[in-house]
Amino acid sequence: MSINRKQIVSAMSRIEVSGNADGLIPGFNVFVNMIPAKFWNSFAERLTRKVPPDMLEAAEFMLVNAAHECGYHTGYGIITSEEWKAVVEPMIEKVPEDVLYGAFAVFTAWGWAKSEIVELVPGERMVVRAYDYYESDVVTYGASTKPSAYLIRGVAAAFMDLAYGGKYDPTGKTGLRTHQCVQTKGIECGDEYGEFVVTRATT
Amino acid sequence: MTQYKRTELVLDKAFDAQSCRHEIAGNPVVLHCHHYTALYTQLALDCSMLDAKALLAECSEDTWEDFLSAYYRTHGISSIPERIALAEQTYAAAGLGRMRVTCAGPESGEVTLDHSHVDAGWFKKWGQHSTPVNFIGAGFIAGLFAAVFGRPVRTYVATETQGIVCGASCSRFTVIVR
Repeated sequence: MSINRKQIVSAMSRIEVSGNADGLIPGFNVFVNMIPAKFWNSFAERLTRKVPPDMLEAAEFMLVNAAHECGYHTGYGIITSEEWKAVVEPMIEKVPEDVLYGAFAVFTAWGWAKSEIVELVPGERMVVRAYDYYESDVVTYGASTKPSAYLIRGVAAAFMDLAYGGKYDPTGKTGLRTHQCVQTKGIECGDEYGEFVVTRATT
Repeated sequence: MTQYKRTELVLDKAFDAQSCRHEIAGNPVVLHCHHYTALYTQLALDCSMLDAKALLAECSEDTWEDFLSAYYRTHGISSIPERIALAEQTYAAAGLGRMRVTCAGPESGEVTLDHSHVDAGWFKKWGQHSTPVNFIGAGFIAGLFAAVFGRPVRTYVATETQGIVCGASCSRFTVIVR
């Protein structure tokens, strides 16, 4: 594999984002915000703990879906950006597999999760491990029975959509949601790392 | 001679190479896009089994009251005008838009957004909406007032009376003590 993960993390972690005169941060074909991780964790955790048990699945689906759409559109913006072209593209030999490995290096560099692909069957299955991620901060003592890495689940599925789901569709009507992701381990659940398995969507 | 002091926000940014986390002023921060913000906002609107709009605002209020109060303590900022100026700069630095606190008192206030990430993102994704949607902004403002006046969270409630997403030229919020 030609992707130099360490080099990508080092280079991409230094990229500065800052607001323009309007207090907005346009970049990667989206508007970006930079907010304490606590905000996202608070909402996800309070929502999933307060909904009635029979609504938990629906609430979690919507949280994952938010990340799935974000990962699809922003992910596309990232892999077509000038920053990607400068740092990652020169390393790419095999498409789309090297794009996937590079994408998870950027995912790490930008603080979403210290993560990497540990298994990849092109077009069929991807297993990602996350060794540190902000979503696990919802637990500071003990172990939860509820895996809570909704962002990683959504983005992992989205990256596979971009790799194997066909041409990028800005409307999201095709390509998006051709894959799904389940979380099989979680730091918040007492495991050593979070583990995420992505496969083709069944519905 | 009259001297003017303009308070500038100073944010210490750091990247921890071990955890691969970014921090600003000691707070782990993360980048997200308008799709994510819009879909969280939509989720709050759609969630009928509990008041998720208030929940989203409260999470924002808690986050930003904590952030601003800590900043004021660390940097010894005690004057109301300085605290407000720094809060407005924080909103912009976070990419949330351009905020002007047009009036503030211990009981109430008025705030205007000339530009808004939440509104611009919603509009870019789905177009106009019939009612204001900036619950995140409302929460920020409630947290701002709590931090500025040294009151606990849930002292204030901010209500968006006019939204850019509805077609207005600016968003407006009224603030009142609960």
